[in-house]
Amino acid sequence: MLEIANLHAAVGDRPILKGLTLSVKAGEVHAIMGPNGAGKSTLAHVLAGREGYSVTEGTAMFGGADLLAMAPHERAAAGLFLGFQYPVEIPGVSNLLFLRTALNAQRRLRGEPEISGADFMKKVRTESAVLGLDLEMLKRGVNVGFSGGEKKRNEAFQLGMLEPKFALLDETDSGLDIDALRIVSEGINRFRRADRGVLLITHYQRLLDHVRPDFVHVLSGGRIIESGGADLAHRLEAEGYEGIAA
Amino acid sequence: MIDLPSSWPSRKDEAWRWADLRHAELWGTKPPPANDALPETSVHWLDIPGERRLFVGGHPVDSEAQLPMPDRTLPKHPLADLAAAAAVAGTDLELAAGEDGGTLQLLHLGTGGATHGVTRLTLGAGARLTLIESFADDDADHWLNHRLDADVGEGASLTRIVRLRTRHGLVSERAAVTLAGGARFTQLAVVSASGAARTEVLVRHDGPGAHADVNGILLGDGAAALDALTRLEHRVPGTGSGQVWRLVAAGQSQVSVAGGVNVARHAQLTDAEQSLKALVLKRTAAAHLKPELEIFADDVKCAHGCTVGELDKAALFYLQSRGIPVAEAQSLLTRAFVADALAVIAEPALREALDAETRGWLESRT
Repeated sequence: MLEIANLHAAVGDRPILKGLTLSVKAGEVHAIMGPNGAGKSTLAHVLAGREGYSVTEGTAMFGGADLLAMAPHERAAAGLFLGFQYPVEIPGVSNLLFLRTALNAQRRLRGEPEISGADFMKKVRTESAVLGLDLEMLKRGVNVGFSGGEKKRNEAFQLGMLEPKFALLDETDSGLDIDALRIVSEGINRFRRADRGVLLITHYQRLLDHVRPDFVHVLSGGRIIESGGADLAHRLEAEGYEGIAA
Repeated sequence: MIDLPSSWPSRKDEAWRWADLRHAELWGTKPPPANDALPETSVHWLDIPGERRLFVGGHPVDSEAQLPMPDRTLPKHPLADLAAAAAVAGTDLELAAGEDGGTLQLLHLGTGGATHGVTRLTLGAGARLTLIESFADDDADHWLNHRLDADVGEGASLTRIVRLRTRHGLVSERAAVTLAGGARFTQLAVVSASGAARTEVLVRHDGPGAHADVNGILLGDGAAALDALTRLEHRVPGTGSGQVWRLVAAGQSQVSVAGGVNVARHAQLTDAEQSLKALVLKRTAAAHLKPELEIFADDVKCAHGCTVGELDKAALFYLQSRGIPVAEAQSLLTRAFVADALAVIAEPALREALDAETRGWLESRT
């Protein structure tokens, strides 16, 4: 589903990713762990197409198409979803207007009909109830006045609404208390399906207690230095990144 | 023979620093060319019910000719005074105490040469009126120059939408509004002219409890030079005002606003707020913001804020990452930016019509 080969990427002149190779098949959940500065967020931003990140070598294919050749909105329409570490506040644009615009823009690009107002609201009610998000909150500006936990829940809500094929979740667990972590994890587990892929980027193993990955990779110095099963996360927690990297 | 100003205001005059008056000098009082053909006007009306009056080249179409007397108590003004002297027709409307005038739309169409016009309003105590004044043109270069003089009686309420949407030459208009005690004046200017445009508002708060909200949206693209100037005079104790101006500069346009608040020495307990913000969409465009506060009383609240910026890159990427193409994302953020100025319009249908107009401008932008 997602095939990354020998990916090199830089922020400005500074190389961050230095030959990263990773393959995620449909139905799989992968976790990438690594110390600060390893390039975890850079990987997320490069895959989503953020301005300011340049790919200097290597490829990333998504569903057989060249991901790196697509504009950010095309990547979304192709089925890639980036869950932000720091979701952005957008005053004046309501959550509902934002989501409906996004959903219809994706559908237009895929040649599908736009969603009706009634169907959209029905979906909003179902998904927001699962995540415990108040409908009144969703009428406010995107993430405006949301707590850290509410912002992450809103990311999980958008994941449920947009129904992508692949979720790339950047430090979704940061800033969450135990209850919020459980709710957001349930959102991710609901998303898991045989035809969908998930890549979790995280510092800590605690998210992986709730969302059990099939594979765990250690990213250090811009490359994957070790891969294993779910138990690798526990080893990391016990030995630290330094122990693994040594 | 009408006297032209002995000298036109220049950029050396602080009040005219960013105004582009070349077309005023060029056309002066030269009347529009005679033409019986009626230009297409349907696109210029705001889709709102109410009486409509059309002026083409300064002459009324399908309504009786009136020539109102301007308010002689107003200070001298080079363009507004010329408008009064050179106008061949105008609108004179007097509402009796308690009368609800509903919504009146006036469309002023420039057809070449110089077109001058006057609107005179007198609202009796407790009267209400929504006035929509729109300025547009056909395909000729011209100068369209107008003045509105309004007296708003005790507890009366005037809402004015002024739309400057000419595509050529210069449009200039000055509104002078005098408020009695407890009177309200709410104005929203929507300026999207492609040439030069100047909108100016003078409000005199003459009675306690009077309140004015003077907002504006300037949408500049191409080589447009859009310029707004306000002067809100708090002349008695216990009056209030709000100003929210949102300027968007694209292309090589220049958008400017000078927001003035004057509080007289004895006008204690004045409550005046002002927020001027500009969004520069392209580095080839320019925005000028100038808060001008002159406060001579000591027990007043006068808040003001002023910022110039670009679209938030993080917000743009967030929208794109959810599937919204960059142009649509910019449009969404820009609409959100101007929404603060629109919010003053209480009537939902009117607010939505104006929001749709902003959206139309954003979508048609090059």
